[in-house]
Amino acid sequence: MQIRENKIDPRTKLTAVIIISSLAVFIRDITLLLGILLITFTITYALGNNPLMLVKKLKKLIWVFIAIIVIQSVFSSGTPIIRVANVTIFTVEGITKGLQLGLRMCIIVISASIVSTSSPREIVQGLIQWKIPYEIAFMVSIAIRFLPLFIEEIKDTVTAIQLRGIELDRIPIRKRIKIYSYVLMPVVASTLMKSKQLSVAMESKGFGIYPTRASFKKLKMVKADYLIIAVFLLGAFAIIKVYLY
Amino acid sequence: MIYSIEVRDLHFRYLNKEEETLKGINLKVKKGEILAIVGLSGNGKSTLCHCISGILHNSYKGDLRGDILLDGRSLKDLKRVDIIKKIGIVFQDPDTQLFSPTVEDEVAFGPENLCLETDVIIQRIDDALKVVGMENYRLSNPNHLSGGQKQLVALASVLSLEPEIFIFDEAMAQVDKAGRTSIKNKIEALKKQGKTIIMIEHDMTNLDITDRVMVLKNGKLQEFKGSL
Repeated sequence: MQIRENKIDPRTKLTAVIIISSLAVFIRDITLLLGILLITFTITYALGNNPLMLVKKLKKLIWVFIAIIVIQSVFSSGTPIIRVANVTIFTVEGITKGLQLGLRMCIIVISASIVSTSSPREIVQGLIQWKIPYEIAFMVSIAIRFLPLFIEEIKDTVTAIQLRGIELDRIPIRKRIKIYSYVLMPVVASTLMKSKQLSVAMESKGFGIYPTRASFKKLKMVKADYLIIAVFLLGAFAIIKVYLY
Repeated sequence: MIYSIEVRDLHFRYLNKEEETLKGINLKVKKGEILAIVGLSGNGKSTLCHCISGILHNSYKGDLRGDILLDGRSLKDLKRVDIIKKIGIVFQDPDTQLFSPTVEDEVAFGPENLCLETDVIIQRIDDALKVVGMENYRLSNPNHLSGGQKQLVALASVLSLEPEIFIFDEAMAQVDKAGRTSIKNKIEALKKQGKTIIMIEHDMTNLDITDRVMVLKNGKLQEFKGSL
């Protein structure tokens, strides 16, 4: 049985993500980074994901970016823009580095969402067909599968604390952090227990019994996949050439 | 007579525990029999299950003495792959035994581990889903199913390994009445096929389908006389 022959192979998507992320790390020019972000935005949208949702989530990190801009401005020399009592708060270089970091993060996060348009099973199969050991491929898949359960576990523990009469929204931040530290212990204990149960269930079905593993689904790259990879490689080459020269 | 399961003077003590959890268990289960083992929490019911299914040797540390025979062959002489083909276990918590994105992937997990041919794997998925009546959920995400349906998928994932012996380790504990009825019907159908079944149970209302009930008390297995 072959997986969704009419759609893009997850390995093509993984290749695209690797190329885009590498470009985001390598390139420092803001205009080019903006261009890459725009391309990533378009690809993600074309694949059926809504990148605006991700941007909304990234908005929560705006204060981190501002903090980086200020730190870069205060601790590195540059052309000052705002000074308060002989201390430089904003410099052109600081703002540039902050913007670079922000753009890089946006590109990496949005490009990573390209892979999420494939099912975890397809991603695992893609990794296995890339000759990555199946134990590692499954580890990735299970991490994806259990992340929502882990979040649910944290929420349940916080709710249990609130049911005992602690209103987390109304107490000072220092006390709140202390209470959150109490959440950690039961959540970690519960997660360890669940992971043990999971490994027992997997072993009882023969996981890891042989060095290799069969698969009733096989991925097959079609011409469109090779074409997409070629376009990405050529595009990356062109961007690097523009950047270097 | 060769029994489907025979346990001889089984003792088990977990590492870092002074007292033995199992203190000389002797048990004989005939082919095609449904045996229920009841007992209070912490009395070692699941430990006994894990011993019989060979999981304990790989997953838990401790001191194990005695012998377990499956169809007359000692567990010590069987390879892990032979044990997996012979005995399947359905656990209590559906969330920690279902880890695949679709029902068919979940059911295919065991046969894929056994490196079976693609055609055989597909056939086994079809058969297992048909037995539990979940054919229409083949491409569904197991997370989106009800507790009873999840346990049926868990059962299908064991059925696809085609074992001769099934262990249900409180498999109905987190399932509603309709789900329990459905699972009990499947267990009865398995018995008709000659499969040997051990049910670990808390809920006495689930014992109506069993041939024999035993109680595990203070690490020892005794005939059940109506109270724990």
